Amino acid sequence: MSQNKRYWSGLDELHGTEEFKAIQGQEFPGVQSVDEFLSDDRLESTHTGRRDFLKFMGFSLTAATLAACETPVIKSIPYTNKPEEVTPGVANYYASTFYNGQDYGQVLVKTREGRPIFIKSNALTGEGKVGVRVNASVMGLYDSARLNGPRKGGQPTDWATIDADVQGALAAGGRKVVLTHTVVSPSLNRAISLFCAATGAEHIQYDAISYSGMRKANLADYGRDVVPTYALDQTEAIVTIGADFLGTWGDVAVQTTAWSKGRQPENGKMSSLHAFESVMTLTGSNADRRNMIKPSEAGRVALALLNGLTGGGNSGDLSESAAAGIAPAVAALKAAGSKGLVVAGSNDPNVQLIVNACNRALGAYGTTVDLENAWVLGRGNDEAFAALVADMAAGKVGTLLIHGVNPAYTSTAFATALGKVKASISTSLFADETASRCTHIAPDHHWLESWGDAQRTTKRVDWVQPTISPLFDSRAAGSSLLTWAGNPETDWYTFLRQTWNPNYTADQLYTDAAWNSSLHDGFMALESEGFPVSFEGAGSGLAAAKQAVMATKGGAFELAFYQKNTIGQGDQTANPMLQETPDPLTKITWDNYVTMAKSDMDAMGLNTYIGQEKPASVVRVTVGGQSVEMPAVLLPGQKPGTMGIALGYGRGANGEEVGRAAFQMAENGDFLRDANSALVPVGTNAFPLLGSASGLPQYEQLNVTVEATGATYALASTQVHSTDMGRDSIVKETTFGSYFAERKAAKGSASWNKLIRIGVHEDVNGDGVINAQDSKPTAAFDLWHEHPVEEVGHRWGMTIDLTTCTGCSACVTACHIENNVPVVGKDEVRRHRDMHWMRIDRFFASDYSLERGEEEGVGAIGSYRRMEDPAENPQTVHMPMMCQHCNHAPCETVCPVAATTHSNEGLNQMTYNRCIGTRYCANNCPYKVRRFNWFNYPGYKKFMNFNPSQDNLTRMVLNPDVTVRSRGVMEKCSMCVQRIQEGKLNAKKAGTKVPDGAVVTACAEACPTNAIQFGDLNDKQSHVAAVSENNRAYHALEEIGVQPNIFYMTKVRNTESTEA
Amino acid sequence: MQQAIFNGTRTARWAVQSFLAACLLLSNAAAFGQIWEGGNVENGQALFNANCASCHKVTNEVLAAPGLAGIRDRWTSGDELLVQWIQNPQAAAESGDPYIKSLVDRYVGTYGWMSAQAVSADDVKDIMAYVQNPPDVAAPAASAGTDCITVDELPVQNADNPSIWFLVLLVLFLVIALSAAGVNRTLRSAVNVSKGESPLPDATYFQRAKGWMWNNLVFVSLVGLFVVAYAVVIGYQGLMGIGVMEGYKPDQPIKFIHSVHVCENEVDCKYCHHSAYESKHAGIPSTNVCMNCHKAVKKGRRYGETEIGKIYAAIGFDPESGTYMNGAGEKGFTNPQDDFGGEPIRWNKVHNLPDHVFFSHQQHVVVGGLHCQNCHGDVQTYTVGRQARTEDINKLVDDYPGLIQLSKPTLTMGWCIECHNKAEVSLASSGYYEEMHERLRDDERGNEELRRYLEDDKITVKELGGWECAKCHY
Repeated sequence: MSQNKRYWSGLDELHGTEEFKAIQGQEFPGVQSVDEFLSDDRLESTHTGRRDFLKFMGFSLTAATLAACETPVIKSIPYTNKPEEVTPGVANYYASTFYNGQDYGQVLVKTREGRPIFIKSNALTGEGKVGVRVNASVMGLYDSARLNGPRKGGQPTDWATIDADVQGALAAGGRKVVLTHTVVSPSLNRAISLFCAATGAEHIQYDAISYSGMRKANLADYGRDVVPTYALDQTEAIVTIGADFLGTWGDVAVQTTAWSKGRQPENGKMSSLHAFESVMTLTGSNADRRNMIKPSEAGRVALALLNGLTGGGNSGDLSESAAAGIAPAVAALKAAGSKGLVVAGSNDPNVQLIVNACNRALGAYGTTVDLENAWVLGRGNDEAFAALVADMAAGKVGTLLIHGVNPAYTSTAFATALGKVKASISTSLFADETASRCTHIAPDHHWLESWGDAQRTTKRVDWVQPTISPLFDSRAAGSSLLTWAGNPETDWYTFLRQTWNPNYTADQLYTDAAWNSSLHDGFMALESEGFPVSFEGAGSGLAAAKQAVMATKGGAFELAFYQKNTIGQGDQTANPMLQETPDPLTKITWDNYVTMAKSDMDAMGLNTYIGQEKPASVVRVTVGGQSVEMPAVLLPGQKPGTMGIALGYGRGANGEEVGRAAFQMAENGDFLRDANSALVPVGTNAFPLLGSASGLPQYEQLNVTVEATGATYALASTQVHSTDMGRDSIVKETTFGSYFAERKAAKGSASWNKLIRIGVHEDVNGDGVINAQDSKPTAAFDLWHEHPVEEVGHRWGMTIDLTTCTGCSACVTACHIENNVPVVGKDEVRRHRDMHWMRIDRFFASDYSLERGEEEGVGAIGSYRRMEDPAENPQTVHMPMMCQHCNHAPCETVCPVAATTHSNEGLNQMTYNRCIGTRYCANNCPYKVRRFNWFNYPGYKKFMNFNPSQDNLTRMVLNPDVTVRSRGVMEKCSMCVQRIQEGKLNAKKAGTKVPDGAVVTACAEACPTNAIQFGDLNDKQSHVAAVSENNRAYHALEEIGVQPNIFYMTKVRNTESTEA
Repeated sequence: MQQAIFNGTRTARWAVQSFLAACLLLSNAAAFGQIWEGGNVENGQALFNANCASCHKVTNEVLAAPGLAGIRDRWTSGDELLVQWIQNPQAAAESGDPYIKSLVDRYVGTYGWMSAQAVSADDVKDIMAYVQNPPDVAAPAASAGTDCITVDELPVQNADNPSIWFLVLLVLFLVIALSAAGVNRTLRSAVNVSKGESPLPDATYFQRAKGWMWNNLVFVSLVGLFVVAYAVVIGYQGLMGIGVMEGYKPDQPIKFIHSVHVCENEVDCKYCHHSAYESKHAGIPSTNVCMNCHKAVKKGRRYGETEIGKIYAAIGFDPESGTYMNGAGEKGFTNPQDDFGGEPIRWNKVHNLPDHVFFSHQQHVVVGGLHCQNCHGDVQTYTVGRQARTEDINKLVDDYPGLIQLSKPTLTMGWCIECHNKAEVSLASSGYYEEMHERLRDDERGNEELRRYLEDDKITVKELGGWECAKCHY
């Protein structure tokens, strides 16, 4: 049975607010004034008389005419000594590894003429595909705020001075500490050991996001101080208690890809996902069943699960929404048995001890939980760090080397104590919160400039190789350590090679075939015996843990800290591409905020609708003695009585040079300045508000107060302005039960994906009467001439599986980087002039339906009214939306200059040089995917601080195969036509047909779950051709008959279906 | 780097081959002293031009090697050694002959070793006959490039532009006519006064011209119409010419001569512009590619050492020692040193397309099989690069069969799509097009389309989508 749900893309659509209605009628809200369009901020201050005006006009006309006749002389400068592997115009790919203390990814770096311009997953590894934060990180290489050389006391210096000073400091007394993030590089670990041995220093690891609670639980239960890895592809039922494992928790890349492998309905079975959480996260939005809990209930939910699995016991009080989810979750876990899994995001060892007990009860160890080959990340030692901060404050620390972490940002106490350290040296690339407070900065190379090695697990080692010469006068951090330790070998590359081959000498630089081949692949498999885990004594701390979680009580308001999928822990806050990628749930860009439930906001009289001219209400959140003022945002699914604040924002609060995009801009493009003319950071730093329990940071505060301030704050949201006409045929969804019952149905006949038929005044069925039963499929109606693309040449097409799309937005950033999509900034996004070629529509659903209304006898109007109620905890659908490349494209019909035309390969082509900017096409586009280029983004001052094309350094990230569009033209998804052209050319040169998979769009390449697939629909052997014939495949807005080349796959949720 | 390695292996292979050849040939080498007598001068000239002339001259002049005038008097080391010296110089030098040693000391440091020549002892005899007695010593070098023309160096036929003289004459005529009219008028006025009549009214030229025009209205209207029509035509042509850059030939930092390299020395286009086969860009060769030859060729035919010296300055080559320098000015390196930090040569781009045009050389050269000349004209007659004119390209049809003749100016979009409309694609030419053909053949809709393509009995690039915007603009 089809679920006749009503989807809306925001509560405003649901409630049909006046403003929403006004916006819905307009493709381009807001009228741009002539002054603004002319882009001159000084227009008003000038006075030009009529005669002067005419003179200027005449002069300009003549000058322009003359200038047009002169062709500028363009220089063409070849290499002096061309590197052998570089051919101008041909991209090279290098395998490397990304690691920043949070994310880990094996990647291929695309370089053009020696410039890294695109990052994608290294498919050879067969492991997880990297997500949004990794593929956008290429922007960081070209950040002009990077340090151009070493610093001493904030002033430029040379390396000899740094070396002398550090060695002098090491010779002096005091505690000597090397403070790093979790080091995953065996070579760096070796260098640190050598350094510590030579200088008597000690090594402390500290991570911005702590996993200590989990490690402590594992230490207590199994004697191993590690975070396990999870085999999510083998899992049949997953219960997560606040662990956003698809967004920010754990090894996201591996987990996302593995999870999606278990979510293929065609396999005849699907894993189920139950989420218990306060703030709606990416994982929660993808859950089959999501239950709202208060942060204080996390332990009791785990306990209730354990009791459910082991057969009873007291679980303490649970709120209604939490308690309702326990039984289904336990049932799913019991059905899965050893293939079940419980994970929790809490940093409280007590909660994790109970979670461990759940997994033991399931028998999950060895099947879905792997403790033997543990995760190498997340080994920060919070107690040692706290002790260090105490020593620093007491002036006991003589020398402090800091690598890879920014503790002054995450810990206020550290920032204060840092001033008391005699010699503090940071290897940061930026003069960030920590580095700017250090006595010396010895900048490391960017990872794209570095040699290195890295390990995710002990099973193998991945290589980091440079893809560009260092842009600035930086030095490998390992090399610095070796120099300061007085090690005879200070060359980092040699040291790295010697880690893996003690007999390595410089003679083998080019001759080691095994090394060359493993470097090409990007990794080397290692013999790892694993570490056997003893279950003896496991559960000894369980009773105490139960007591503790039962006793946990929260106040009237509880606060949960989360990370946004885009920004993460905050080291890439200055990445404009990530800032402008909308949060997958709130669709807000360029800010963090307090997420709240509608009932709470209504009770406080806060504005629940954020519009272009409707700013958010600012609330004051008080935690202990501290309070912050932040805008409040309505997030459906937020547990009433709780709030959420994203970490990772508010970088550069004291004007540190962390990157220009970390600061707010005024409307004219200048930096916004506060009353003290200090820079205003984007968002607010929530790290100082974090809770703490037994020395571990806790990502919740159980008793906070919140009050309205009456102030307002403008937020830039992409939430409501791109509505899909509000029709039911956009998203199709069913339950796994319904799907399974009709899994063999022909395409278009299954109840959950019926071909849409349109009634005609004609006796179609031949029953002698013309009535409602007479209808034809939409394909029978045609406004357009037939355009031959099927069975003629290529027909490029795409399939998007809504079942496995998590909404992670990796496709969005990949698309933007590949296609030079301009970054327009908060002010322009707020005016709905964002340039996203690709967006992810997020639809919240209600589980009330017309059928149910009928059963309950409340009538249609009553049903619609009731459909509004469950918005408190809605189901969510993420739907990637880009140009559908309609074969009967409405946009093409209305273009007065034929700037948008159809190719015989099925592409809807957009020709910028022909476009005159009438915008008729966008008005006629049913999917609202066309974007108008409002400004001269590469030149206008308003965009100078964040648009990549405005900065001589950052401009190097632009893809030379794609035009940088200029003002006044339409643009949209081209299906990466530059890649199509390249793929066809390669096939022609090879004399073969285009192999399936040889041409992949940036979005399909980036998709961590392979939900997006690209290929030639006319190639009957291609994957997309097969998928498009699948009975789940449908066209969005099929009834308008535009015949897109993009197929969506009906979303299948693994919920108990009453209708199956 | 790749080039250097490639050349190295080639040289090694040559050395082995010539050594084997020498072993065979030496067995029937001419007897002592006979090599200077009885050779065939004509055959010798041909051999000399093919093998020797790029470095040796028959006069005393040193080109990239000693001039050969008087060689019989200088060579006292015997016939066998002479043949070996030509076939395998390095082996001959090991003989320890004092004269050879003197040659090595004097020339090898500067010009490098002579490459081993695949000539037999009889060939050497013929060459020596020619060298001792060249038929026309006055113009020996021209023999190498007798067929080679350099268009920019042809004498200009019409040194003075006749239209200038027309203009001068016209102005002169106008002045005389106006003066005569003025004199005439003054005289007539004086006559009138002398006759007692009133003098002619004191009208300005403008008033009188107006009066005259009013009296000859039909004539003036016709002329006016003609002038306006002419202005419109000229103006339209002028506007259509904006951005058309046919014949564009910017000055270059080095006075490079294509005709010397391509025609006289027969260097293939893709030796320097190899990326035309691998990339969208044909590219300007990097300086290290120049050095593959110019490590040995240190003096040019036209400009001597000045122009080649610019290459050396860019890459850090010391022609005296024949080695490269590093950043510290130390010599003695066999390969270019990256730390030299020379200034790359800043060429002026000749073929400029707008940024929104994505043209691919490899598509046209490798897949389409076009000759370079089809778009670039007769480059072997050029000095520095220039943008060819369509009419000049069309003239090449006899030399390059299959060359597509076009009418629009080169590097305009009209020119591109005119060619795409004319150029044929063979559906049997590769596996790719065979697949495309199958898709058309195997079903009804495709067949209909295929029939439409074949209405004119050929399948053009346009019919396969070559006129679609996103083939070039994205």
